Amino acid sequence: MNSALKNFSIKWNEILLMLLPLVVFLVGWHFATFDDPGRKYIFSTPIEVGQALVRLTVSGELERNVMVTVFEAMCGFLLGTTIGALIGLSLWYSRIVAKVAQPYITALATVPIFALAPIVIVWFGIGLLSKIMLAFMSTVAVAIVQSYQGAMSVEERYMRLMKVLGADRAQTFRIVVVPSALIWVINAMKLNIGLALLGAFIGEFISAEEGLGYMIVKASGLYDMATVLAGVFVLVIVALASTALVGALEKRLLRWKVQ
Amino acid sequence: MKSISTEPKALLTISGLTFAYEGAVGQNQRQTISDLCLNVHEAEILCILGASGCGKSTLLNLIAGLLKPNRGAVEFPQKAGKGRGIGYIFQQDALLPWRTVEANLMLASELTAVNNKMQMLSRIGQYLNVFHLKPDILKKYPNQLSGGMRQRVSIMQSLMFDPQLFLLDEPFSALDFYTKLSLENEFYQLVKEQRKGAILVTHDIEEAVAMADRVILMSKDGLFTKEYEIEYDDPDRTPENARGTAKFAELYRVIWSELKAVIEA
Repeated sequence: MNSALKNFSIKWNEILLMLLPLVVFLVGWHFATFDDPGRKYIFSTPIEVGQALVRLTVSGELERNVMVTVFEAMCGFLLGTTIGALIGLSLWYSRIVAKVAQPYITALATVPIFALAPIVIVWFGIGLLSKIMLAFMSTVAVAIVQSYQGAMSVEERYMRLMKVLGADRAQTFRIVVVPSALIWVINAMKLNIGLALLGAFIGEFISAEEGLGYMIVKASGLYDMATVLAGVFVLVIVALASTALVGALEKRLLRWKVQ
Repeated sequence: MKSISTEPKALLTISGLTFAYEGAVGQNQRQTISDLCLNVHEAEILCILGASGCGKSTLLNLIAGLLKPNRGAVEFPQKAGKGRGIGYIFQQDALLPWRTVEANLMLASELTAVNNKMQMLSRIGQYLNVFHLKPDILKKYPNQLSGGMRQRVSIMQSLMFDPQLFLLDEPFSALDFYTKLSLENEFYQLVKEQRKGAILVTHDIEEAVAMADRVILMSKDGLFTKEYEIEYDDPDRTPENARGTAKFAELYRVIWSELKAVIEA
């Protein structure tokens, strides 16, 4: 019991320590802006941002826009990570195919998503689909590269064991390559959470009728900095919550590692 | 020295085995394994001693089929059906860390399509007794086990495939002395009772003299230079009780003296 209490208090200490830079930032921001109308107009204030959050929540605008952005980002994330991981892991089967595919994957990974966004919107329209596609394109290359790296980084002793035990390539892939590469796939998921949100956000930024990106662009056009920053704040919260979800998934799937 | 033994009922027969790593043969360079002949029989532990880099592990890899010889043949006269019927135990175990001990042991069921889970579990139970392990170990992951336990589970994993011949590449060298002695005894009894064969590669002369029925010295040129029959008067010999005998000390002295000459040659 004492030990549990001790752990609990240590956790609270950690949380308080984590919140300290945020509190310092908010206090500094408040004192830098609250009595200066010029600064207030450009930077808004923490209180105004809080008020904007309450207003947007009460009107239901925030919930609607968050749901749209999260839906677009999550669909793109799931599609991009799943398809990318399947392609990346499958490349383990053939070094020649992997070599041929390498420049194309690199090209896909290096093209800025901002450059593709206008074309994607022309192709898929201004609705949800174009944002999902942008989120997908932002994430698929990372998943391919990470999964392939994972598949190629299997420890030699496990491959040797499978060979000695007489496993064929399909058995080796299923029993050793996929589980061993899982840690790389999860790393890809961690990176892709942010990239999927970015892809969806860019799509909304360019042309949309709903979503956090749309809300921020509209408020920015009206010089409503409090709403812009409230949107950014919510976007950060969504990213942190999604990362925490991937963290929980990592703990579940890689429980053997943390034992 | 070429032919080592010609006894019948051999589990392994090697003749004229020659191997060089790609690019290793040329001017001023040597072959890793040179025209080796060797037999290993049922219930026999053969130990190969030699300096680092003389090709001991390469020889095991050739027997296991992990490397392809340039010349010569590796045959398993008693083996029927597919595969080589080999259990290969390495210095660093190869237990899959994402699988529990039980799932690691059930690999045999997955790879050989033997789906009788009850039968497999019953065999696991038998081996747990042989290696003095508790059943609760089955639900643990390899990284929750000590080095000795992991090596025991590695041997059990091999046993689940019912191999005729064990290849052991310094399997006990990373263990503490007490664990090493226990595992030597357990493995020795297993080989004798189940009529398996084993080739043990080691740097440890004491281990070789305590465990082996035959010790072969290997030169830097990948040749077998000397063979010793290891026989003790005690019919209930174990590696542990062999260590306390005068014969053990004598064999140790003779083999060490010869090995020193081989290494320094």
